[in-house]
Amino acid sequence: MRIAMPHMGNLYIPFKALFQRLDIDFVVPPLNNQRTLSLGVRYSPEGMCIPFKLTLGNLIEAAELGADTLIMPGGSGICRLGYYARIQEQILHDLGYNVEMVQVGVSQRKLVGILALVKRLSNNAPWLKIISAFRFGLSKLNALDRVEQAVQKMRPVEQTGGAANQLYGQAVAAIDQADDDAALRKAEAEYIGRLHRLDKKASVRPLVVGVIGEFYVVLEPFSNLDVEVELGKLGVEVRRTTFISGWTRFSLFLNPLGVNEKDRLHKAARPYLKRDVGGEGWESVGEKVLHAGHYDGLIHLAPFTCMPEIVAQNIMSRTREDIPVLTILCDEQITKTGMLTRLEAFVDLLGRRRRAKQLVGAGCE
Amino acid sequence: MVKIGIPRALLYYQYYPMWKSFFENLGAEVVVSPPTTQAALASGSSRVVADTCLPVKAFLGHVLALADECDYIFIPAIRSMKPKIYTCSKFLGLPDMTRAVIPGCPPILDIDIDMSKSKRKLYQAIYRLGRHFTWGPFKVRRAAVAAWQAYLDYRRMMSSQRLTSVEAIDRLSGPPAIVPVRRAGSHAVERQPEQPPPRMTIAVIGHPYIFYDELISHRIKQRLEQAGCRVLTPQMLTGDELEAATARLVGRAYWTYEEEVVGAGEHYLTGGVDGVIGLMTFGCGPDSLMMDVLKRRAAAAAAPFMSLTVEEHTSDAGIITRLEAFIDMIMIRRRARRAPQTCA
Ligand code: SF4
Ligand code: SF4
Repeated sequence: MRIAMPHMGNLYIPFKALFQRLDIDFVVPPLNNQRTLSLGVRYSPEGMCIPFKLTLGNLIEAAELGADTLIMPGGSGICRLGYYARIQEQILHDLGYNVEMVQVGVSQRKLVGILALVKRLSNNAPWLKIISAFRFGLSKLNALDRVEQAVQKMRPVEQTGGAANQLYGQAVAAIDQADDDAALRKAEAEYIGRLHRLDKKASVRPLVVGVIGEFYVVLEPFSNLDVEVELGKLGVEVRRTTFISGWTRFSLFLNPLGVNEKDRLHKAARPYLKRDVGGEGWESVGEKVLHAGHYDGLIHLAPFTCMPEIVAQNIMSRTREDIPVLTILCDEQITKTGMLTRLEAFVDLLGRRRRAKQLVGAGCE
Repeated sequence: MVKIGIPRALLYYQYYPMWKSFFENLGAEVVVSPPTTQAALASGSSRVVADTCLPVKAFLGHVLALADECDYIFIPAIRSMKPKIYTCSKFLGLPDMTRAVIPGCPPILDIDIDMSKSKRKLYQAIYRLGRHFTWGPFKVRRAAVAAWQAYLDYRRMMSSQRLTSVEAIDRLSGPPAIVPVRRAGSHAVERQPEQPPPRMTIAVIGHPYIFYDELISHRIKQRLEQAGCRVLTPQMLTGDELEAATARLVGRAYWTYEEEVVGAGEHYLTGGVDGVIGLMTFGCGPDSLMMDVLKRRAAAAAAPFMSLTVEEHTSDAGIITRLEAFIDMIMIRRRARRAPQTCA
């Protein structure tokens, strides 16, 4: 049995750690690239959203590497995502790959579901071993996200263009290679330290932009053409609420206890959208209302034809809270040049708005 | 009398008799927007981002048509009609989205329907809706019971007499009160008494609100009938038939319309008709998946299947060409199948 799963950001690193500790044969398909995309596009039904296409591409590339057991998220009431595995399995079978799809529930009873799955895949390893491997995976996940947050802060203010990103790449590799807690802690501390010590430009107060929208396109840089890196190059500081570690912390451990990190967003959205519409639609509206006061602008990432985000987009454009929003529809059609032109124009606009506000502020004194 | 506006779009085709009975039993008057016009569609479309699906744009056009004609507009937020089978996001967001994009809209009566939750929650939601009209819980209860009965009668009528939604609505309640009265009665189906027996039977699969909207569907039903085809729809099957066929092909339904699309498609693909047409609108999320299931199924069964995607700029001519080609293809297959027998 050889196991694989599709990519989403650096998620493969914690999973690799988990499976390696349990001596499970886990293969990592190539990171998202042009070939992944074309494979996914070629074999996907027309009109599917980009997460489907890219994950299908990953699964095909994993099957090519001999994977026969593929992990996909599943569940009910989670938009098209809950239907992905059914169709992808069909497509893979039609292509002649003899693979089995195992679905892990991401809508209900998540922690129990994931642990039970790991237990099955590990050929009934003792629980103690599973829990310890699981914990180690989570530590890697948390370390990765903390490093990424440091990178987000440094990108707009670094003296040498690309320095933060370069360190980020090294940090990810070091975290991937760490094979015990001590090594992991050391890698994290070292790279966060080095990031903080990078030469900074003299006293800039960068524009602050929130990146919001659908979970997958926010977290998978390939699908959004590295929008965060590009914003960094334009001297913009990126903030985002969505991190995988945040998701796991809350949805695995705290939601069952009745703590919901999204309550804040839902409450903010309620005057305009009273109910969950699947995906991240409700949260997108909430983020706009909540951040209107203290961010300079928002980048709203949505897969093309994404139903929840279309609802959100229609409502967001009508809220009283006012903040410029640039919606970027992610699919195989967007090009880097097209996106850069729009980003530059947007950042220009934000700069002008900030200067205008400062002038008004100064005039009042 | 309080006037409740019901847009002739989306869930109208499935639930109008139920809603009408409910509101009338509570002493309200019900008005329905006229059939979709190009102008209504354009006005709805102008309010939302381009990627919004056609049926939702049409829905907003209907709300705009009703805006000055009623005191309330009824827009339910439906999460699930059966436990753990959920609707598309756009249905859920409908009341809020309408409120956002049509600021001058009359107050919206919304009700959360989620059959995955407890019965008590549902009763509470119904009572909350009824309270706009009466304080008496028994009156609301009576209206709800009558409404449910009206719905069952309507369903039974369609499956036992093989009627379409539009035909059944007309028979049950007479043509609905339309505001403003334009082409009164034009949508009433006139049955020709004597027609030659149909050349072939074709099932058209898809969401009822696409199929029955003559503008969105480009009158596909009438066109097929004119070409001598008998047309069958998902609504002509009973709930049990739909469920059984769905189970056969994909197991448990995932989407609210899955039984109407995948279930009915499977039912008709495996017999009883000469061809199946899958009708969907561009940009429909659930259909992008469900039509794919049917396409694969049809290919495996070597059954005649055509998927037809309509969008705002689809022309009648385009549809006619596709329909003709499909009918021709069926005729050719039929002849090919007969040919060996004549040779023998
Ligand atoms: S939320 Fe959007 S991207 Fe995700 S499955 Fe639904 S439509 Fe696709
Ligand atoms: S199911 Fe399809 S057509 Fe219906 S509202 Fe959703 S996206 Fe639009």
